[in-house]
Amino acid sequence: MGTSSSSHARTMVEEGQHASSTEEFAFTPRAMLRSVFREDRLFIVLAVFIGIFSGLAVVCFRFIIEWVRIYALGSGVVLSPLRMLLAPSLAGLLIAVLAIHVFPQSRGSGVNQTKAALYIFNGYISFRTVIGKFIMSSLAIGAGHSLGPEDPSLQIGAGLASAIGRRMHLSRDRMRLIAPIGAAAGLAAAFNAPISAVLFVIEEVIGRWTAGILGSVVLSAVSSVVVMRWFLGPESLFRIPPVENLRPSELVAYCVLGIIGGFASVAFATGIGALRPRFRDLPRWTQYLQPAVAGLLIGGIAWLGAPQVMGAGYEYMDEAMHGRFTWQFLAILAGLKIVATLLSFVSGTPGGMFAPTLFIGAMLGAAVGGAEHTLLPHMHFSPGTYALVGMGVLFAGFLRAPMTSVFMVLEVSGNYSIIVPVLVANTFAYLIARTLQPTSVFDELTRQDGLELPSMEEQREENILRVEDAMQSPKGWWLEGDKLVEDAAKIVASGEKSEVLVHLRDHGWCALTKAEIDELMATGDGLDTLAEVAHDKHIPYLHPDHSLDMALRYVDRWPLVPVVNRANMRKLEGVISERDVLNRYRDFEGV
Amino acid sequence: MSLKGKWYALYLRREPASLALLFGLLIVFFTFVTGLSRIYSAQQQSLAVRWSERGTANLQAHNYQPAVDELRAALRYSRDNQAYQLSLAEALIGLDRTSEAEAYLVNLWEEQPENGRVNLDLARVAVQEGQTTRALRYYHNAIYANWPEDDQAAQIRDARIELIEYLLRIKATAQAQSELVSLQVYLGDDTTYQKLLGDLFTRTGDYEHALSAYRLSLSAKPHDAVVLAGAGNAAFQLGRYEQAAHYLRENLALDSSNTNSQNQLHLSELVLRMDPFRPQIPAAERDKAVVNAFQIAGNRLTACPVAASYSSSKDPKKDLAHEWADLKREVTATGLRRNPDLATTTMDLVFSIERQANIWCGSPSDTDRALLLIAKLHEGS
Repeated sequence: MGTSSSSHARTMVEEGQHASSTEEFAFTPRAMLRSVFREDRLFIVLAVFIGIFSGLAVVCFRFIIEWVRIYALGSGVVLSPLRMLLAPSLAGLLIAVLAIHVFPQSRGSGVNQTKAALYIFNGYISFRTVIGKFIMSSLAIGAGHSLGPEDPSLQIGAGLASAIGRRMHLSRDRMRLIAPIGAAAGLAAAFNAPISAVLFVIEEVIGRWTAGILGSVVLSAVSSVVVMRWFLGPESLFRIPPVENLRPSELVAYCVLGIIGGFASVAFATGIGALRPRFRDLPRWTQYLQPAVAGLLIGGIAWLGAPQVMGAGYEYMDEAMHGRFTWQFLAILAGLKIVATLLSFVSGTPGGMFAPTLFIGAMLGAAVGGAEHTLLPHMHFSPGTYALVGMGVLFAGFLRAPMTSVFMVLEVSGNYSIIVPVLVANTFAYLIARTLQPTSVFDELTRQDGLELPSMEEQREENILRVEDAMQSPKGWWLEGDKLVEDAAKIVASGEKSEVLVHLRDHGWCALTKAEIDELMATGDGLDTLAEVAHDKHIPYLHPDHSLDMALRYVDRWPLVPVVNRANMRKLEGVISERDVLNRYRDFEGV
Repeated sequence: MSLKGKWYALYLRREPASLALLFGLLIVFFTFVTGLSRIYSAQQQSLAVRWSERGTANLQAHNYQPAVDELRAALRYSRDNQAYQLSLAEALIGLDRTSEAEAYLVNLWEEQPENGRVNLDLARVAVQEGQTTRALRYYHNAIYANWPEDDQAAQIRDARIELIEYLLRIKATAQAQSELVSLQVYLGDDTTYQKLLGDLFTRTGDYEHALSAYRLSLSAKPHDAVVLAGAGNAAFQLGRYEQAAHYLRENLALDSSNTNSQNQLHLSELVLRMDPFRPQIPAAERDKAVVNAFQIAGNRLTACPVAASYSSSKDPKKDLAHEWADLKREVTATGLRRNPDLATTTMDLVFSIERQANIWCGSPSDTDRALLLIAKLHEGS
């Protein structure tokens, strides 16, 4: 926005207020304390506290999941059939009772609940929900349900942040923002990837980049990762094999992976979207059995030869990256994991979708790479690279977080040479998923829950109306300041124009209304220059790329606002009035 | 105090107090998680040790599949333990799952490029994958890498022996020979491995070094039948028939069933008996040996008429049959006594006949073979 007399005046007022405040409180201990504990500073400190608390909670969460796994499924890698069938079933029964009677708010993955806290409940997430999510998710994941710990960690972090915010009596605006800060911390600790966590929360939960919150989100994410690494070490979730340098011709192979990944994402998301409401519509008594039956079926899949589908499955992603499985078995595992995750998720078992998404992506990526290598043996094949790209593909196609998907792979692999295949494959997957299924899985789940949360994907792709879409041609609307008032009178005399813009050589733009011109003519000032009579009537100006929303703030106060070129302020690109803005909004059909 | 002032006072009391409370809670929570973490770490460590012990035992017993499962379980609880990773890689090599083993080994190599065992395992993986250049590079790395000090010499020796075996398998004899010479220098006068050294030299065709290694071995253990057979064979191949006969007789005295030694001893004795050029032989005996050889060559020519049509190098115009027929009347005890150069001429013809017959008809009798060996001994071919 250009400078204007009013904004300048407003700034002066604010400075005056600040000066008086300083005068009132300076040098007193109370004033100093108040200065230290100003809410915005406190918010930064709280972000660090939230990060540490979330990191500690996620560490506990990981411990509990591991203990449940050891005691439910055994400590070895070869599981006994009895445990495979019984552990997820019994855990499912217990979870169903807890979810129905004790923690009804703790179902689902946690991402939508955090978004709901931000947009509907003023940042409120009950502590009971946090406890419920912690207990039920650790039971489910540890006992072998095909779910991951990341999304619950996100909600646990958000819930802790909400509790801390309430304790600190933060304002409503701050309370709304505190849940995403905790979410970023929880996700960063669970994933050991602070950049991806920050990006995901901004891309999928907050939906916009604002400097005010970005610092806090980053601080909390970094704090939680530091805590997590303090206790669990710096290792990533899987060992990343060396990423081979890519030959340009191999990009075609990654395109194929992107296309297959896109279709797999659609199948996965469609399955969840279609089955979840059907399961929820079943009689109430079946709600007690659904997680147990899902667990039994998952145990059955494991018993039939694919125990890899149980739990989060990070160790198997690691093995896929290191060429442990044949491409046929990898493809089967990807398919079975989709089935297992569908069963777990639609049965209402609490747990996250991140780990299963990464698992499916890794298996699919390595399978596609292996199949391509079988068909074209001369082509270089590195299962690790294909698995990593596959993870990004599913992340982009299923979770619909394209930016996070790229940075997640880069952060996890620590190798920037992988960026080209990731970008290519993710773009294909995202476009296919977006075309075949316009509503993302998170938005679909939200709508199924009867909530109407803002869709980040739709916001990203929304067409923004700009000033250039509504402005009129400047021809005939303006005069140079050295022209006479009677020249302006001739323009308004025709009756078509009620204002005239005047360009002052050194002072920007000002405006004269028909009434003002008529008055000047009546008082015999017709031979005065416009600069002389209008020098104190400064008005703001806009640029063609400004949003129409911004124009709306000015056109109700100034009937005609000049639109000037950014490179040459003297060049008038157009003029805009309130009627122009409203006409454009009326004609806008969202395309 | 105004309402605003009261609010500030409340605010100033409340915010620091809340932060202090939060800080206190943080310390309590941190302490709690630290305790939990200790219990968790101890349990993980104990599980890792338990599974690794089982896995290592199975690995040593060559039960590779259970070893893989158990070592994988151990690594689940101690993911960065390099000893477990190395053992798992070895178990995977045992199951011929080389690409998986390689993944572990490459990671280990990146962290410890100077680790001898990792390099040796990577060499084994490269051998299984048929990647000769990589295999040789890792074998050489292993030979010059770091090994546990208490076992360093033995490990380096074994790595070099494995490399030589591999070189012999891929028929890189010259490289194997040079590695063997290095191994011989490395071993010095240590008699324990001289037998193996002799065998390896024999496989490269370096009988001179083989014989010296066997002799060194025999100096420590003179009644080792296998070493005696090896020494006999090396001496035989070097054309030292007396020495060969000596070792072979001793070998047969210990192991009479060794047919190779029997054959070689028989041939050695034939050579020693039939060779007219052996030193300090009485003239009559020499003439008798020449006449005998001439007769054997004649018989060979009759049995192999193809060879008869070829000419000797001395007189390209005459074929071997004609040459033999021309000499037949002269080659007698009297003729040889009268013309001392006749013995050389006769034996040259005998050698030519035996070589041509060997080329065209093969399967010589023992006496023919003995004549060929005598030819080789004196003509160097």
